[in-house]
Amino acid sequence: MEAAIAESVRALAQSAPTQPQDVPADLGTNDWDDVQRTRRGDPEAYRRLVQRHQDYVARILWRFSRDRRVHEELVQDVFVEAYLSLSGYHGQAPLDHWLARIATRVGYRYWKEKARRKGTEPFDVEQWDQAVGDGHATNALDPDDAGALLHQILAQMSPRDRLVLTLRYLEQCDVVETARRTGWTKTMVKVQTLRARNRLRKLVEQSGTELIR
Amino acid sequence: MNWEEKIERLAARAQAEQTPRVDVTQSVLHLLTAGPAQPLTAAERLWMWLAAAASAVAVPAVAAAFILYTRSAGPLNEIAEAISWAVQ
Repeated sequence: MEAAIAESVRALAQSAPTQPQDVPADLGTNDWDDVQRTRRGDPEAYRRLVQRHQDYVARILWRFSRDRRVHEELVQDVFVEAYLSLSGYHGQAPLDHWLARIATRVGYRYWKEKARRKGTEPFDVEQWDQAVGDGHATNALDPDDAGALLHQILAQMSPRDRLVLTLRYLEQCDVVETARRTGWTKTMVKVQTLRARNRLRKLVEQSGTELIR
Repeated sequence: MNWEEKIERLAARAQAEQTPRVDVTQSVLHLLTAGPAQPLTAAERLWMWLAAAASAVAVPAVAAAFILYTRSAGPLNEIAEAISWAVQ
């Protein structure tokens, strides 16, 4: 692994342009400057990029794992993966958008691996009823508890369904943004969202709760 | 209020939650700047060659011992059978 990273670092340094390029219109000057410096082999530039964007990446990955140890590992994986593929970043989109795609990919991969290893625990129906009730009770709910409960409910779904529902409900992504994050086509996102919503409805119906009244 | 509206309300509430702060700067840079493995010292090199030589000797020795044992086991059995009347 380390040898591969060292090789990639050398390749990045070699591929770095010798002349400074124009800053792309929609990219922050600091980010673009640090990206260029990183490509030339400046580790301090990459340190600044990580420091600047790790909160944003951490927020996205908190939707994928609420285990603090796993969460931190996933954030770390995103920045290692981002570094290794930095030569493919051309500044056509803000760095945040590019990192969000990588974070989504890393999180989705984690879910798929986890789904292969073990099943999920059913969500606590009573907890749902107490927390949500007729729907107005959610306003009084602690945001952490709301996030945990929703995480638990969506964990019942397949990684594919879970991804599209997480982006839709928690990340507030529209079809275009979901397509961009997942790398799927817009049609595929629409179809997948419809199917996932139907499966979620069935899931809560089967739970026999007051949920769908 | 249908099930999806409830989910959406729950999600809206979850938007306000605090994400735990992480600082992966050091670990990421450590991973990325870790260069190739350091070359072995003279002592480590000596031990490595010693271990390799010992393995090179031990493997044929075990094979030879096994062959000798199987060859000698036949005649020994014959002798043991021939003098078994004396033991009884």
